[in-house]
Amino acid sequence: MQLTQSMTIMEKLHILSDAAKYDVACTSSGVDRGGNGKSMGNCLAPGVCHTFSADGRCISLLKILFTNECIFNCSYCLNNCGQDVKRASFTPEEVCSLTMEFYRRNYIEGLFLSSGILISPNYTMDLIYQTLYRLRHVHHFNGYIHVKAIPGSDPVLVEKTGFLADRMSINLELPTSESLRTLAPCKSRSTILRPMRQIQNGIAASSREQLELHDWLVRREGGLSASPDTSGGFGTGTLPGGDPGVFPAATGKDDIPDTIPVSGSSAPIRPVGSWQSRPRFVPAGQSTQMIIGATPENDYQIMSVAEGLYQNFKLKRVFYSAFVNVTGSSSLPALPGGPPLLREHRLYQADWLLRYYHFQVSELLSEDRPDFNIFLDPKCDWALRHLECFPVEINRADYKTLLRVPGIGYKSAERIVKARRGGRLAFADLKKIGVVLKRALYFITCSGRQMYPTRLDEDYICRNLMADNTQIPREVRESGFTQLNLFDLGMVAPSQSQAARIITGFSSGISQAGGV
Amino acid sequence: MSLHVLICENSIDGILSGIYRAYESRYGHSSIELTTADRLDTYNLFCEYEEVPVDIQKVQKVSRTLLREFGQEGFRTLCEAMSAWESPRDCQKEMSKANAVYKTVALGLARKEGARVLNYLGESYVNRVFQLSRSTYCESHHLLGFLRFAELENGVLFSQVHPKNYVLPLLADHFCDRLPQENFIIYDDTHKTAAFHKAGASYLLAEVPEADRKFMERYSAKEKEYRALWLEFFRSIAIEARKNPKLQSGNMPKRFWPDILEMAP
Repeated sequence: MQLTQSMTIMEKLHILSDAAKYDVACTSSGVDRGGNGKSMGNCLAPGVCHTFSADGRCISLLKILFTNECIFNCSYCLNNCGQDVKRASFTPEEVCSLTMEFYRRNYIEGLFLSSGILISPNYTMDLIYQTLYRLRHVHHFNGYIHVKAIPGSDPVLVEKTGFLADRMSINLELPTSESLRTLAPCKSRSTILRPMRQIQNGIAASSREQLELHDWLVRREGGLSASPDTSGGFGTGTLPGGDPGVFPAATGKDDIPDTIPVSGSSAPIRPVGSWQSRPRFVPAGQSTQMIIGATPENDYQIMSVAEGLYQNFKLKRVFYSAFVNVTGSSSLPALPGGPPLLREHRLYQADWLLRYYHFQVSELLSEDRPDFNIFLDPKCDWALRHLECFPVEINRADYKTLLRVPGIGYKSAERIVKARRGGRLAFADLKKIGVVLKRALYFITCSGRQMYPTRLDEDYICRNLMADNTQIPREVRESGFTQLNLFDLGMVAPSQSQAARIITGFSSGISQAGGV
Repeated sequence: MSLHVLICENSIDGILSGIYRAYESRYGHSSIELTTADRLDTYNLFCEYEEVPVDIQKVQKVSRTLLREFGQEGFRTLCEAMSAWESPRDCQKEMSKANAVYKTVALGLARKEGARVLNYLGESYVNRVFQLSRSTYCESHHLLGFLRFAELENGVLFSQVHPKNYVLPLLADHFCDRLPQENFIIYDDTHKTAAFHKAGASYLLAEVPEADRKFMERYSAKEKEYRALWLEFFRSIAIEARKNPKLQSGNMPKRFWPDILEMAP
């Protein structure tokens, strides 16, 4: 600790931002909050990127650890108690002045505060709470705050902190409780899922309160009462890959204490004094992160966990972090080809399909096909296996059907539905709307015509789609992605069309394209 | 029947004055075209040209009508389109923004559908308005993040930007809301215009043809310290194993770099 005290703020910032960089979440989205004319700050729902670091990732928030001291021994983490690294801790005031001064120069959209575990989870969570309290009430900061809930800390502290933050997250870290036991023995599924459930209930109670307030205002003005449906409880499912002994389905007789019921009926605890007239609890929702490639789980397991988190815990985002071996621990894979960036990319693509495109994991993967096609994005891959759903007529198909077409994004689909009320659309219009025709053209008709004659044939379309080099994303291609990564995934280097057949499982269709 | 070309000043006020004149003239929409003065390099023998001066009263009349018929969001989209920059390539290949906005307005008013016609992207002029407003919106959104303030000796926050589109009012609105108790100046060097904001007040826009460069660089003592801290943060937050300069410049186009502290040479 003596070392810490003699450190300059510059040295601390170096150590504690370097130590925070493997946390991937850095979005400032999810909440619209105008300025109040007095204090500094406002928030925009889509979020704002302030710069992009040398790895090409968005920097939106001042992402730092409060301290990199840690009593835990998670083997993937650079800050675990066994590592010989330089340690540092901020004071709450240092975090506040950095945030305020960076914010007024428009370097950042707000603060992302995480921490190693100093002394105990409660001690650390309280430091984080003190820091946020100071930032909101002494410095009157009205910008975005994303904060970590420390696994194993007291629910009261989590509650109090949640009324000061915009977003909270607890990292799931690894997809299964088995992996967690092996690599992060101080954490468990229950110390992670318990606060996650608590935050979910807090958010639900808070937004119910907002709705009731709105309702009351409407009634008072003599308008029609728009009564919100608050009867529906929250999901009672469990997470796949979980340890049923530790975290069973929340049936009411599980081992989750009564203080955090699944359908939150208990009123959340209010902090003393509020930074807003009506404080809201975690208004931008909660997120989490999983490390990809440190443990042997397949994509099917990972995506099923993500789906469970979205459905049962109402998470806003699940982030996937390609594993980088920073500790050199023998219990971890070496990954000579670099972090599994392509795999991470496919998981994000599938994650978008879940959140914006009404897909379910069971449509994308199965026990028999547990991993994503590395050559084709998950949507193209799905479309090729469901040619019976195509072609889709642009001027007639409903929104959900349009969403399933490769090359049509959710924004384009929305524009199509609105634009065709003003008249029929042609292929030239689609291009201007933002449809990627080189992918979509095999799957659509405009007024009954194809863009040019193509066959609705698996091999033919697959070959053409694979010729499109955006299938292996730019960031992966350009970060030195080579065939080597394919070998790493246990594949022989096949000719392109052979590979596609192997991967998309078209073994029955091989004879059709014998000449290729 | 000859085509009447109304030549407007290249600004929101200019184009709205042009739209007023188009209605007032009663030539009929199909025989009128709007354009801005700076795009016009050749005259067509079979057209009649007329210059339309800016008239603030007419601008206000048209604005009121558009706000009523298109709503706040729709009017905002039209204004974004009118603020857009037209590249030399656009000027050759695409319809003038003044004309695109005019024809879109005419469609909206004729069909009594207001802002809904902004969705009819199958119409070429509506599509043009969509492209232009998107370009302005995207650039302003980029700059909400990329803009950097520096604290000067007198405590004023100063920022210089070089946007293609005229986004200064959008930026000023945002920072007034965000930093109500700061004195700040945003200087748009492309359009030689600055937004001045005094703590606790609204902002003023003023043309600044000749900016004093030395004034911009007299930083406060604390300024140097926080710049150094920011540069340190920017360096240490990147993951070496994922280094990817092309992704970085793809997300943050190079034309913005000279004004971004951590990317400037």
